[in-house]
Amino acid sequence: VSDSNFSLLVFITFSVRSQDIRNTVGNIPMEWYKDYPHIGYDLEGKKIFKPIRNKDELDEFLDKMENPDYWRTVQDKMTGADIRLSDEQVDLVHRLQQGKFGDVNFNEYEPAIDFFSNEVMIHPVTNRPQDKRSFIPSLIEKEKVGKLVHAIKMGWIKPRRPKETTPQYYDLWAKEDPNSILGRHKMHVPAPKMKLPGHEESYNPPPEYLLSEEERLAWEQQDPEYRKLSFLPQKFACLRAVPAYSRFIHERFERCLDLYLCPRQRKMRVNVNPEDLIPKLPKPKDLQPFPTTQSLVYRGHSSLVRSISVSPSGQWLVSGSDDCTVRFWEVSTARCLKTVEVGGAVKGVAWNPNPSICLVAVSYDDTVVLLNPGLGDRLVCTATDQLISSYEEPEEVMDQSVQWAVAEGEGHEQGHRLILKHPKTVRQVTWHGKGDYLACVMPDNGSSLQVVIHQVSKRRTQNPFRKNKGLVQCVSFHPIRPYFFVATQRYVRVYNLIKQELTKKLMANCKWISSMAIHPGGDNVICGSYDCRLAWFDLDLSTKPYKVLRHHKKALRSVAYHRHYPLFASGSDDGSVIVCHGMVYNDLLQNPLIVPVKVLKGHTITHDLGVLDVTFHPTQPWVFSSGADGTVRLFT
Amino acid sequence: MSQVQARFFTENKKYLIDDVPFSIPAASEVADLSGVINKLLEAKNDGHKHVEFDFLVRGQFLRTSLASHMEKENISTEEVVEIEYVEKFTAPQPEECIMHDDWISSVEADSEWILTGSYDKTARIWSMEGKAVMTVAGHTDVVKDVAWVKRSENLQTGSLVVNDASLLLTASLDQTIMLWEWNSERNKVEARHCCRGHAGSVDTVAVDPTRTKVCVLPTVEEDEIEEPNRPRKKQKTEQMGLTRTPLMTFSGHNEAVSSVLWMDAEELCSASWDHTIRLWDAETGEQKSTLTGSKVFNSISYSPLCRRLASGSTDRHVRLWDPRSKDGSLVLLSLTSHNGWVTAVRWSPSHEHQLVSGSLDNVVKLWDTRSCKAPLYDLAAHEDKILCVDWTENGLILSGGADNKLYTYRYSTCVSDAGA
Repeated sequence: VSDSNFSLLVFITFSVRSQDIRNTVGNIPMEWYKDYPHIGYDLEGKKIFKPIRNKDELDEFLDKMENPDYWRTVQDKMTGADIRLSDEQVDLVHRLQQGKFGDVNFNEYEPAIDFFSNEVMIHPVTNRPQDKRSFIPSLIEKEKVGKLVHAIKMGWIKPRRPKETTPQYYDLWAKEDPNSILGRHKMHVPAPKMKLPGHEESYNPPPEYLLSEEERLAWEQQDPEYRKLSFLPQKFACLRAVPAYSRFIHERFERCLDLYLCPRQRKMRVNVNPEDLIPKLPKPKDLQPFPTTQSLVYRGHSSLVRSISVSPSGQWLVSGSDDCTVRFWEVSTARCLKTVEVGGAVKGVAWNPNPSICLVAVSYDDTVVLLNPGLGDRLVCTATDQLISSYEEPEEVMDQSVQWAVAEGEGHEQGHRLILKHPKTVRQVTWHGKGDYLACVMPDNGSSLQVVIHQVSKRRTQNPFRKNKGLVQCVSFHPIRPYFFVATQRYVRVYNLIKQELTKKLMANCKWISSMAIHPGGDNVICGSYDCRLAWFDLDLSTKPYKVLRHHKKALRSVAYHRHYPLFASGSDDGSVIVCHGMVYNDLLQNPLIVPVKVLKGHTITHDLGVLDVTFHPTQPWVFSSGADGTVRLFT
Repeated sequence: MSQVQARFFTENKKYLIDDVPFSIPAASEVADLSGVINKLLEAKNDGHKHVEFDFLVRGQFLRTSLASHMEKENISTEEVVEIEYVEKFTAPQPEECIMHDDWISSVEADSEWILTGSYDKTARIWSMEGKAVMTVAGHTDVVKDVAWVKRSENLQTGSLVVNDASLLLTASLDQTIMLWEWNSERNKVEARHCCRGHAGSVDTVAVDPTRTKVCVLPTVEEDEIEEPNRPRKKQKTEQMGLTRTPLMTFSGHNEAVSSVLWMDAEELCSASWDHTIRLWDAETGEQKSTLTGSKVFNSISYSPLCRRLASGSTDRHVRLWDPRSKDGSLVLLSLTSHNGWVTAVRWSPSHEHQLVSGSLDNVVKLWDTRSCKAPLYDLAAHEDKILCVDWTENGLILSGGADNKLYTYRYSTCVSDAGA
């Protein structure tokens, strides 16, 4: 029996030994009687002697072994006697040990009766009136609150700490260097995928995949590196018969080497927006004025109008057509003032740029006629006639390839003044800026006589070139300097007329030049070609085109510069005229600014031909175009 | 906003109504308002006949509903709106179609006769009924402009030298101006003077208000490069002699002069292809001011009634200018509706707000400056380019063009508006 049960045992001994000697010492520690032979006194006052305890350990052990009631024997501390517990007592001990109530019949879970409930009873348990204390505020509490308020006022305690708004977590990788080892893992390079097995890898491949004897021999003789297949396709009766793959380890090793030696460096591609690469061009709206709408149509020709030219005053327009007529128009009203018939389809017309001479050069077949239209100042017209008639034959007659003749009779009435018979068909006529020299082009491949220059005042003809390379397409005088431009199929050659040498050769980069125009400043040239290109040359810059424009859908027939405004135009077989802004700066460092500003449509396409000639008005930003539909149109 | 308080008033005594504000629906348009006025007039006097009215809100014609017009013009709807009503300008009625042999380059008409210049090198005189009265032939090239100098009535009373004769001028491409004397009774024409001096075709002539001086202009300058163009003026004196030379030359234009006119007896105005309108002092020959545009001017017209210049240019707009503004860059209004170059403009001789314009798009338009968004009427009779227009004071609008036809239209001279 343990010590914890000691008090219990005391209780039990009373009940057990009621009939026995009763110790009267009371509830005292029994150690006090430890050194005495007695243990206390009975009711009669006689000493109760301690029972003789001579049992040693061995006896104790034997007793434990032999006595069946040993486990229920306890020693009474009051008397020192051994007591054997009865069954009921053992039961009680067990119950208590289990934490149960001692009495078997006691119900721990009886229903509770709530005496002090919210319900007002008729007969309350207590009828005591409520304390005064419960009505008046507590002085102690007031003192405590006052202290707190004072502490808050003095700032000793903070009433309420503001809540932390910043999140409590942080970005672990925020400051990570992408080039560090961890960062590099982001640049994951996936392993190259293995090729999927094909039919030839099958254990039972179709017969066409099986190699024939020769193929097999060839395969064996081939170097393993160059073999198309690294194995021989084989046929087995069933899957069970397929042996283990002998090169398995080898192949896995190769694969591992591939993965291990794969270059992990990633090529960084620079992302450039293609829009950013295009240079910023000004808006066409800011480049006014330029022609925008068709204003007038000059009708009258019955066939295609090959060539047009405007008088230097800008009041008259001349047009030459395939219906063998030359017509003179009033620009402002589209009135045909004069029609002159010539003996063939007119290829070119050119108004003399000198305002004090009233002459128009017209070329048809092998003839160039100088016409006096009789328009403009009467004085100028008569002066021109006098200038031509005042010519005196020189002493020695020069042997010239071109026959000069003075028109007489009906031709003179119509305005013909001089007739120049050429040996070949004349395609183009152009005047020098001073109005005395006239250049004619007679295209003939390889011939030495393709370009001639006439001097009208002396009725002299020169052949400036001993031999011509290629087929001459068109020629032009430099507006200021003594240069002469000759355009052949692929090149434009610039000759110095005084030094008589070739100064430049421009490579047009196209197949067949059709037309050419010189900028009034003289340093820029545009060339139109039959392969839909317009090439702008800057003579100071290079012999190659500064810019090539491919806006037209069909062959270009004509190009022109404006004399004052920074404009140039091109006419094409697609029936449209494209006007571009071409600003040339005096500053040598600044390149010309070229902006296409307007597509002008109006001509109908006849016989696959659209616009045949374009030319600008000398003073206004207006462009004239002549077309295969027999009309000349003015765009303003 | 469904109702608007409006007060109607008019200058015309014939159509006066009581001066009280009316509440009218805001969505009402011109026809509704016209109905309202007619109802009021009928209630007032029994013999009233229905009249179509046009309405002006703060000097602008009402063309849409009243509400949208007020919103556009930013007029408060809270206050009483002052609405002026005038008799509606009825559409000009086509009257005659006078056929010519060739293009008509110019027309000038007075109350009795119509004078036209044609590309067949002649000028013609027509009666108002379209009957050919006289053909003036003598130029060797196209006649570009014509002008009456004196009418016979004036001469009958005033001059003893020329009895019962009219004087007229023709300018031609052959660089001359011819002064003709036409006796309407005997129907004979006689060339009196030939004026030379231009170095190019003479495109326009103008006779000054006192009818003694003539201003003529060439289109082309022929001298050295950079030499300005030369408008020239010529005085007609009583001395006899066939050829005359200019009295004064006005130099300054860089390009062809397209139109010239007299503003009053001392002031000249010329428009040119060099994008300027210049005002000249006729006495000294000095340039007074310059109005600079952005396009070539084809034609100008001046109205002494409203003291404005109207110009037709190669960009489809008719522009109004104030010639008194010194800087010259002030464009008062632009009237935009044409589709081609405006070749001719002419103010109404009797109405301060009306003008006609002819264009290369074959349409003559009648404008009122109080409604600048759209013309009053389009007169689409021509089949080809229109080259000239004119008004007469007795109710005719004339237009001639490249279809060889001279059309006349009769318009009702609005009594209420005349000289308003």
